[in-house]
Amino acid sequence: MRILRRLAYWLRLSSHHTELVNEVEFHRAMVEEDLVKRGMSPATARIEARRTMGNDTAMREEARAVWLWPSLEALWQDATYTLRDLRRNPTFTIGVTLTLALGIGANAAMFSLIDRLLFRSPAFMVDPSTVQQVYMYRTSQGKESGTGGQFARYSDMARYSTAFSQIAGVSLKRLAVGVGQGTRVRNVAIVSAGFFGFFDAPPVLGRYFTASEDAPPDPAPVAVLSHALWTTQFDARRDVLGTTLRIDAVEYTIIGVAPDGFVGLWPYRPPIAFVPLTTYGRSEGPPDWATTYGHSFGIDPIVRRKPNVTIAQASADLTNALRRSYQAQYEGNPAGAPLDRLRPRAVAAPVLEERGPEPSRALRPARWLAGVTVIVLLIAAANVANLLLARAIRRRREIAVRLALGVSRRRLFGQLLTEGVILALVGGAAGVALAVWGGRVLSATFLPGTEPVSIITDARTLVFSGLVALGVGLITGMAPMAQLARTSLVADLKSGPREGTHGRSRLRTSLILLQSALSVVLLVGAGLFVQSLRNVRDVRLGFDADSVLVVELEMRDVRLDSAATVALRLRLLDAAKSVPGVAHASLRESIPFAGMSSYPIKVAGIDSVRALGEFHFNSVSPDYFSVMGTRILRGRAFENTDREGARPVLVVGQSMANVLWPGQDPIGQCVRVGLDSLPPCRYVVGVAEDIHSESIEPESKLFFYYMPALQWNPHEGGLFVRTRVDPSVAQEPLRRALQREMPGTAFVTVNPLGNIVGAKMRSWIVGATLFTAFGVLALVLAAVGLYSVIAYNVTQRKHELGVRLALGAGRMRVVRIIVLESVRFALAGVALGSVVAWAAGNSIGPLLFDQSPHDVVVFGTVTVVLVCVAVVASWLPALRAAGLDPKTALQAD
Amino acid sequence: MPSPPPAELLPGTLDLLILRTLVRGPNHGYGIAQRVKELSRDVFQVGESSLYPALQRLTLNGYVKAEWGVSDNNRRARYYTLTPAGRKQLVAEEREFERIVGAIRLVLELA
Repeated sequence: MRILRRLAYWLRLSSHHTELVNEVEFHRAMVEEDLVKRGMSPATARIEARRTMGNDTAMREEARAVWLWPSLEALWQDATYTLRDLRRNPTFTIGVTLTLALGIGANAAMFSLIDRLLFRSPAFMVDPSTVQQVYMYRTSQGKESGTGGQFARYSDMARYSTAFSQIAGVSLKRLAVGVGQGTRVRNVAIVSAGFFGFFDAPPVLGRYFTASEDAPPDPAPVAVLSHALWTTQFDARRDVLGTTLRIDAVEYTIIGVAPDGFVGLWPYRPPIAFVPLTTYGRSEGPPDWATTYGHSFGIDPIVRRKPNVTIAQASADLTNALRRSYQAQYEGNPAGAPLDRLRPRAVAAPVLEERGPEPSRALRPARWLAGVTVIVLLIAAANVANLLLARAIRRRREIAVRLALGVSRRRLFGQLLTEGVILALVGGAAGVALAVWGGRVLSATFLPGTEPVSIITDARTLVFSGLVALGVGLITGMAPMAQLARTSLVADLKSGPREGTHGRSRLRTSLILLQSALSVVLLVGAGLFVQSLRNVRDVRLGFDADSVLVVELEMRDVRLDSAATVALRLRLLDAAKSVPGVAHASLRESIPFAGMSSYPIKVAGIDSVRALGEFHFNSVSPDYFSVMGTRILRGRAFENTDREGARPVLVVGQSMANVLWPGQDPIGQCVRVGLDSLPPCRYVVGVAEDIHSESIEPESKLFFYYMPALQWNPHEGGLFVRTRVDPSVAQEPLRRALQREMPGTAFVTVNPLGNIVGAKMRSWIVGATLFTAFGVLALVLAAVGLYSVIAYNVTQRKHELGVRLALGAGRMRVVRIIVLESVRFALAGVALGSVVAWAAGNSIGPLLFDQSPHDVVVFGTVTVVLVCVAVVASWLPALRAAGLDPKTALQAD
Repeated sequence: MPSPPPAELLPGTLDLLILRTLVRGPNHGYGIAQRVKELSRDVFQVGESSLYPALQRLTLNGYVKAEWGVSDNNRRARYYTLTPAGRKQLVAEEREFERIVGAIRLVLELA
């Protein structure tokens, strides 16, 4: 009953309000009448009646409070009051909203990235906690390294393991999809039929393939489309079933369409289709693809643990299965290494790749960045708290008046809190909008080669952003309350500039200190990363990747014998050279930073060359050194006469010459490569500068040499092309010219070498860019904070400054007083921030390149920058102070 | 002769007095205050700041009903009427009050 009455009351809130007003007014009139009856004059009676009635606002509020949910009503009132107030101060509102949007937005974007990398299980997966990704290792030459990927190995693991209820082989590949000019390289999931059993994702159309379709020796060419491909490329037509789609070398019949949002294990690289493991294996591998251990398809097993099987037991079971597989392999080929030397080992890891034993290079900077965004949020919150505090202090008299009129302190606190929360929520909404944009940038930076995925507008990120906004709102709203709690009503009512002393707010001072200190931390980080990026860029790689395009041949199902392939490559080389804008072109077998070839080599007088290190090589044509810009230090580069049948030659890298023939002339020395045991001893004709082929860090025990393409594997690899113009301009004309030479469904891809090399620099580029961006952002926020504090202090000291001016203080002196105050703030911030940054240095060190985290130059520069900012931030208020007219300043109020 | 200062109401008794005055028939807030004052011979002066919240509380609990009417001097006034639930409550509160007053008297007489 009470509830119903309350609801009825709430439905007619405003009319209840007027009724109460009318009722009290009637009461007052009656009192007045009564007084007149007793002989008081009407005028006096009116005043007297009003006096005896007392504070009728408080009374009305109390009467209304009876109807409960007074807090709710108060909230509503406070909210409307706040909104009205915010509309009236657009500069303040926009400033605070922007600040919060940056802070919350950065965190929302980072959260969604980290969440996806580390926490969110794959969509549609059934009971993800029991699903494991399997990693396999074996020891070779005393060094343990990853292994696996063969179909035979996968079959063995499925056959010999016992702890699992489900197992599937998976691989994500970039394959050519379509035919002719519409051919594009896309992500394709190659999965065994059991893969779909891990998910609860019934196809929206047709069906998934079955185990019998995915079985050697004669698997079916069937494919399941992703929902995205179905809608974009096939207009979501239902008659798509039964039509065909060419993927790589196989014409697949479409038998089903996966549901919207089903991306298997690859949210960032969503596959456009799912095809059977074995169908792909047969088209791609050698004739004995299903049984050989010698050909890897990059297949990774995923497994589901049976109930009550622990992860440790699962790993043990997998290791056992892997040992049996190696045992089987050894029995089939006793020439191979025996089990006790290989020490095979398998690990059941979480299904999320980034939580497994081999997280991507992006993860570490991503974790760091998450820390940085938290700092940005702290700075933003400090800034907003400061602005709110300034406002509360400015409104001190208004607040005192309201208190005097009978508004309870609790009510006032509630209102301040509401104000903070509303601001934070508005800022949070703006932040999410910002994060949608920022998230795209983030995923492009951290997860290159991925298709644009909307990563923000999901419930988890929104809830997270909402909670962050709420927290920030409560904390920032609390700041003015700390100030309020100490105010004395009477003093505030009387307060005015004439008091002279400017009660500096300790809270505001600490906030501004915190802000400057955090900006210093970020700026030092920015400085260190920029320095280290510069060091990275300054590394001489031994080649110049900037204007080089990489041409790769995709033969699909076109089978050419090696003579025809050589002819094709030479035709492509000629075609490339005739494209306008191309300076040089060269054949090449491998690509630096994308996996280099290596063969065992033998050199007279050295027992084990292998013990000296690893020897990588490339087989190239004469123009190679001009294409890459690799300098020949001694002897000569290759010439057109270095061909099949001529004297076999090679060019060695400088370190290789030094390590193989210390103190001797390398020219004319003899090297045997691979299995050549007979005459073709290859003679060194030149020495080239060293190159980096795997990483930007110094490569020790990694050596490099070159052979003429026509003397080694002339049918292997693609081209390098140096352009005279911007490579992005030449890229498409070159691709078209080369494509004309390609037979059948074969095609070429053309990509800048800079992309491949740049990927290795990415973590430094990301670090430098983001630290700088956030550092500058923090600096701007700190400047705004400093400005508002100084400007406020100037207003507070108007009277005192007026006195100084009247007593003859020079204007410059006043400017100096104000500016020095600001500089003192900044210096205190620098001191505090430097201590923190110095301490954090040790953990940031590993992320830097050839750069001490305790670089005095960086710390010094940041100090200078912050002092400059302090001067700039205080300049306007200082000028305003100096421009005070002593007369008006003293007369004011 | 200066009248003695108005006495403090015992906590919780205001609702009882309001309900009691309404037994005679509907009345508005001012009238209720006046009646309490008269009946108590000026001992109790009900302030507006406690009267109106009390009336809202009684309305919320369904003990009284509020309706707009016209007062003796032709002004619009809100009249409060005792509901059956209010009558029951009045009886209960009277009994409770008697019990407490009796107890106090006992203590005063016997201590």
